[in-house]
Amino acid sequence: MGLPTTRFKLLAAGLVGALVLVLAASLLVGSAGLDAQIVRTLRLPRVLAAAGVGALLALSGLAMQVLLRNPLADPYVLGTSGGAAVGALLALLIGGSLWLGAGLGALAAGLALLALTRAVLASADDASPRLVLTGAMLASLCGAVATLLLTITPDQALRGAIFWLVGDLSGASGGPIALVLASLLMVWMVWRERAIDRLLLGSEVAWLLGEPVRRLRLELLVAGALAAGVAVAVAGAIGFVGLVASQALRLAGVERSRDLAWMSPLAGAALLLAADLLARSVAAPLELPVGAVMALVGAPLFIALLARGGR
Amino acid sequence: MNPSLSVTSPPLVVKGLSLWAQARALLQHLDWQVAVGQRWCVIGRNAAGKSTLLRALAGLPVPRQEGEVAWFGRAAARWAAADAARVRAYVPQQASDRFTLRVDRLLALSSPAPGAVPLEEALAVLRALDAEHLASRDVTQLSGGERQRVALVQCRLQGAPLMLLDEPVSFQDPAHQLRVARWLVQQHDRALVFSAHDVNWIAQAATHVLSLHGDGRWEAGTVADMVAAAPLQRAYGCDWRREGGLWCAC
Repeated sequence: MGLPTTRFKLLAAGLVGALVLVLAASLLVGSAGLDAQIVRTLRLPRVLAAAGVGALLALSGLAMQVLLRNPLADPYVLGTSGGAAVGALLALLIGGSLWLGAGLGALAAGLALLALTRAVLASADDASPRLVLTGAMLASLCGAVATLLLTITPDQALRGAIFWLVGDLSGASGGPIALVLASLLMVWMVWRERAIDRLLLGSEVAWLLGEPVRRLRLELLVAGALAAGVAVAVAGAIGFVGLVASQALRLAGVERSRDLAWMSPLAGAALLLAADLLARSVAAPLELPVGAVMALVGAPLFIALLARGGR
Repeated sequence: MNPSLSVTSPPLVVKGLSLWAQARALLQHLDWQVAVGQRWCVIGRNAAGKSTLLRALAGLPVPRQEGEVAWFGRAAARWAAADAARVRAYVPQQASDRFTLRVDRLLALSSPAPGAVPLEEALAVLRALDAEHLASRDVTQLSGGERQRVALVQCRLQGAPLMLLDEPVSFQDPAHQLRVARWLVQQHDRALVFSAHDVNWIAQAATHVLSLHGDGRWEAGTVADMVAAAPLQRAYGCDWRREGGLWCAC
């Protein structure tokens, strides 16, 4: 059910406020205190990366939920991020660039998926089960390859590899790229909101209403895979945020694609920033994996939201 | 809609249409056309092919099809999706709603473009189908009958002159069945094809009947000719009797 205007405005203001707050805290808080040098060279790149990756994962999750007409879809459901993980591990093993490896891996997985499911996308029929099953198989395959690669990773590289597989923002660069891509995707989704909302009614319904469904679904797949691939390339396979950002907003009563398209990335960015702040400060100087911290704190909160929402 | 097409060609022309479900022939060589102001009811026993026919008429994929369906003189397959949406609307037997959405937003998405349907017109359709009070409800929370009436409103707001409705009253209580029948009768400027099972309701709502025998054979005629003991017997395979002005199977 939709929200009354005043409550929607409150929610939007709260979201923006939370993001600003957590941004400021992430820049100012840390074991080294307030040092201009540290803020600029260490914390700023990390903050940008966290914000960009959080926003990208939230948008990718939203795109997958629309594409598969499944509120439980997340950026990893179609296996593109699994491909990125395998690519990055390979790069780590042979000493190449993590970035290049992850990028190529995501691209390869995305192309494989496209080739395998072209027929599915082509039909006006809502054939999501085949698409999602193909993606799930691809993800399993990538997961298995990644595990095998881990067993042959030399000990000194193992810790880094594992941190990277569960997501790691320390020393992450590429934040600006992630932010630019997230902004572009956000604008695109807001612009396409009517078509996206129609697609949510079912691809046959959308086609009957005059939407070129095949092209729209292809665009969503490319956008979602691209966002997930870049996010994984920047910070590794961080879970949870891609599923939860848009879902939490839906539970709070936001239902239009236009609103979800701009609010989800903000929520995703705020969530990942907060989790990263926790991960690097609760046990400082020890750094906890950000994905684990986020799910540890976020999952119970989300369950509470579910119980309260009652649907 | 291109006006030059509508003047010369009827909304729906079917030539040599055959439909199959796996190896079974549902319909063989249907030659048929529907004019503006006509309300055709498709009848036949369960699995006779009524829904498959309505899907084929809407241009949706069916297991196997031969022959041609044309809207306003142009083959259905040759219309671009956006143009087709302006001339033909279709209501499936049941909507599959997976995401929460307010009914008024759903109706806005069903109109051809934002603001294409004047508010007064939308309200009139909502009132006619007793759905006005549903406008601010969540589609996933509606009852079967309510959702079905909202689907009829959606279909009408799409604005297409050819409306295809798969069992529009299957979930309606008697009062709302009557209401839907009266609403259908008022659609003078459209061409309607719908399916239904209640013969007495059909006699109220339709001008013509297309009967599918389920083995490929079909017959078509006015409601006066077709709602009669012999054609009904051929359609359903049981005997029919008229009691107090109402048809009963026996």
